Amino acid sequence: MTAVQTPTAARTAAGSGSRVIPVVRLHLVNRFSMLVLPWIILGFIFLVNLAIWWIVMSAVGPDADRADVQEGLQWSGASFYIFVYMMVLGVQAIALTFPFALGFSATRRDFWLGTSLTFVLLSALYAAGMTVLALIEVTTDGWWLGGRMFSALYFGGDAMPWYARFFLFFATFLFFFFVGALAAAIYQRWRVNGMLIFFGALTVALVGAAALITFSESWPAVGTWFVETGAPGVVAWSLVPTALAALVGYVILRRTTPKNS
Amino acid sequence: MSAVVEVKDLSKNYRTVTAVDEVSFTVEENTIYGLLGRNGAGKTTLMQLLTGQEFASSGEIRVFGESPVENAGVLERTSFIKESQKYPDDFQPKHVFASAPWFFPEWDAEFAERLIADFRVPLKRRIKKLSRGQLSSIGVIVGLASRAPLTFFDEPYLGLDAVARQIFYDRLLEDYAEHPRTVILSTHLIDEVSNLLEHVLVIDEGRIIVDQAAEELRGSATTIVGTRAGVDSFVAGREVLHRDHIGGLASVTVGRLDPLERQEAAELGLELSPVSLQQLIVQKTNVPAKEFEVKS
Amino acid sequence: MNQPGVVVDESRPIFVQIAELIEIDIISGGLPEETQVPSTNEFAAFHRINPATAGKGVNLLVDEGILYKKRGIGMFVATGARDRLIGQRRQRFENDYVGPLVAEADKLGITRAQLAEMIRREEGSAE
Repeated sequence: MTAVQTPTAARTAAGSGSRVIPVVRLHLVNRFSMLVLPWIILGFIFLVNLAIWWIVMSAVGPDADRADVQEGLQWSGASFYIFVYMMVLGVQAIALTFPFALGFSATRRDFWLGTSLTFVLLSALYAAGMTVLALIEVTTDGWWLGGRMFSALYFGGDAMPWYARFFLFFATFLFFFFVGALAAAIYQRWRVNGMLIFFGALTVALVGAAALITFSESWPAVGTWFVETGAPGVVAWSLVPTALAALVGYVILRRTTPKNS
Repeated sequence: MSAVVEVKDLSKNYRTVTAVDEVSFTVEENTIYGLLGRNGAGKTTLMQLLTGQEFASSGEIRVFGESPVENAGVLERTSFIKESQKYPDDFQPKHVFASAPWFFPEWDAEFAERLIADFRVPLKRRIKKLSRGQLSSIGVIVGLASRAPLTFFDEPYLGLDAVARQIFYDRLLEDYAEHPRTVILSTHLIDEVSNLLEHVLVIDEGRIIVDQAAEELRGSATTIVGTRAGVDSFVAGREVLHRDHIGGLASVTVGRLDPLERQEAAELGLELSPVSLQQLIVQKTNVPAKEFEVKS
Repeated sequence: MNQPGVVVDESRPIFVQIAELIEIDIISGGLPEETQVPSTNEFAAFHRINPATAGKGVNLLVDEGILYKKRGIGMFVATGARDRLIGQRRQRFENDYVGPLVAEADKLGITRAQLAEMIRREEGSAE
């Protein structure tokens, strides 16, 4: 470069420098922990569940009892683990990959866009997998044992169309990713104090809301709302806090210096 | 020559400390700079400011003519290797080297592979399980192979042994000769790197106290040893950089002496000895010399 | 850098020392006239110094006409460089060594004849 050359000219020569896609690839570079390990763990939990269902079903005799037990198996929470796992990935994306990506000279903007895109991709991928498993589960009437892991009642039970199932999983994954990322962003920016205030405020908000509902005696109304809105509806509403978490997370991270200790 | 970095009246205040205090300097293109100073003098903060990782309290920073903050066009030509770089938990060195080319357009994979062999970095071990020196090696490899037009090395070799450090210096010089770029090297091992540097910036308590060509600094100070009376009379009226005495003997460091003065000193029976860059900086920043010694 | 085999002393600019090393090589015949001098980068790598500094040392000798540049090829030792360097060295020898030697001899009351005799004896012992 000579003294005559303007910075702008040099800049065009070097390209726009946007690193959104590289950030996505960076998140996924360790394919095992992002794309394989969750399925292995999920598979393991599934096998354990199968074993339990089998034992339970062999232990109860008459058909009437069986129906009872099957009713109970509709409420399995076994697959919740995978959502928690995604929240952990969301936390790690900020706590560890953020300082690393900035060490690789990415901007915070590109990092956040790339990270969000990664969350969307992973949510879609895992939601698709879960949807397929749920469909198999329904078709085989609970893996021939009447068990429910992917189509438990929280997820709308048996009678839900596949696209509604997909959307339900997809939105739930997104929610956990971005909430995890938001919490980690607060920690990255304000450390322990930030965490204390965040969880303090969250607790106050939840208790406050509960108190409000209790004093106005509107619990039945809340219950009716949940029933009327249905699982997909409730999950659709979750997109609001998810979007909020994504937005606030970026605003926080935009002024954050990666901490290295 | 053109300036790659221009800094004007830059300050960074934290709640209780001023880490960088009204600093102004420029960095010329394709030059190896030494950013030297005590621990906590403000070296890391300054480099974080120049790479947009930290935000200035006041003043102006221009890198490639633009502000580096959130500026992808500037940052993609910048590589900042930190002593304490964090890595994702599940990463192995191979993941670092696989992803680096996506971020550094000038990345040279062949060179990286040579360096990996030179430094003997195990590619498939969890980074968390690597030794301090192996961790430093990863940073050094990324910094060299990224060939960024502006490369920062912040204490890049904690835990590296003498052999590995020598490999780093040799590869840096070799590659710099073939692919000139601007390198800013922050270190406390001044004696080891002093011959590599073309320009020296010394920062102390957030201020730049030396901003000079390394060759000008070399020989810019002399230590005079002799009887107290003899030394005192010789240095009378000169600026004294450092003074030490034991019994009747005195050792005083002053600025550059011309041949006539040297002859005069010799005639007075005084001994003259050169002052290394490291000694000079130790004296200027007024710290016990041991802070600059090898820590590994 | 405290490297064995790297002759760099702390008291003087490195580029001056590089220039001197090349001069010594020319005088000793290690670098005959009209042969190519190693490149700046080779000097830098060998002595483990900044290439710009090595370049400054080489340019010092170019300015003095000891080396000259062949475009696109590199640096060469000029014809007559060795004689000129030896001439310079002799002059310097007289200034740096003979002068102080005579001055010190005078202080100690050694006559020029005695001094000459001492030098002859020195020569004898060297044989």
